[in-house]
Amino acid sequence: MTKLSGRQWLVVLAFVFVVSFTGLFAVRTVRRAVYWHRHQDEAIRPWMSLGYIAHSYGVPPWILYQALGLPPKAGGPDRRPIREIAREQHRSVDEVIGILQDAIVHARPPYPPPGPPPHPDREPTPGRSP
Amino acid sequence: MSITDQVLSALLLYGLPVLFGVILVCSVGIPFPISLMLVAAGSFVEQGEMKLWQVIAVASVAAILGDHIAYGLSRWGGRRVISRLSRKIGVEENIKQAEALTKRWGGSGIFFSRWLITALGPWVNVASGIAVYPWRRFLIWDVFGEVLWVVLYVGIGYVFSNRVQAIGEVLGNLTWVVVGLIVTAILGWQLVRYVRVNEQVG
Repeated sequence: MTKLSGRQWLVVLAFVFVVSFTGLFAVRTVRRAVYWHRHQDEAIRPWMSLGYIAHSYGVPPWILYQALGLPPKAGGPDRRPIREIAREQHRSVDEVIGILQDAIVHARPPYPPPGPPPHPDREPTPGRSP
Repeated sequence: MSITDQVLSALLLYGLPVLFGVILVCSVGIPFPISLMLVAAGSFVEQGEMKLWQVIAVASVAAILGDHIAYGLSRWGGRRVISRLSRKIGVEENIKQAEALTKRWGGSGIFFSRWLITALGPWVNVASGIAVYPWRRFLIWDVFGEVLWVVLYVGIGYVFSNRVQAIGEVLGNLTWVVVGLIVTAILGWQLVRYVRVNEQVG
């Protein structure tokens, strides 16, 4: 039987700790990758812009603007994160996320595909009341 | 709201100045989710909201500048403090050995800590400064490593532009797995040496 000194036992303990740490993060990485592979959609986060959410979920951006009662974007890109939109509309971020998820569900099968974007001169359809 | 949400919101709203500032302070040693930010920047490039060359140039310059601030402070500020302390507590010889090791293996350590094991980057900057690793060599390895890091992560964001959050989480965990594997290999090698020495003595 090999005898180990105090310092050597410390190295053994550190080794066990690091192996556990690495194993934990390896499992987390694989679980995340598998989850991501199975679920095509990622969760909507407060930092995301409406353009990014539309890009991520594969729906036309105007669907999301309409759901929130916002005029369709004109000119340059609209970089406002949804937390900023929530603040402007005096809504909670969770409420805005709920409205967007609802609009996305209704823009995808089994629901019929959304039609062309509304005419820019027309008033936007109001979103859900806060 | 999490720090990640705040950083990415600021990146969306203000663009390149936020990219520069966050990468700079993170390279000096303040922890921020910058890998995720680079992936997000790659996605914004793909969506036409940012320009590729600007993102790569700004992020690379910020990272290299931040690394040099940490290196410079450790080399010309930290070294005196370390020398004084090491003399007082009698570990001067150990410090010299560490310096010699850094001088010998510093190049690959600097390069790989820029893009593969990014969590160790700030520590390597400080160690290189304290060990008086030659500045020109530090600069060369740093530039190669940081540009590779920026191109790699922005490229991943560009390719997976609709999966920023998911990719960021996977990459964040993967970095710690790589760090863990390296430390496991070092400690494992140490244990094998102990066992061999004990067997020879026995």
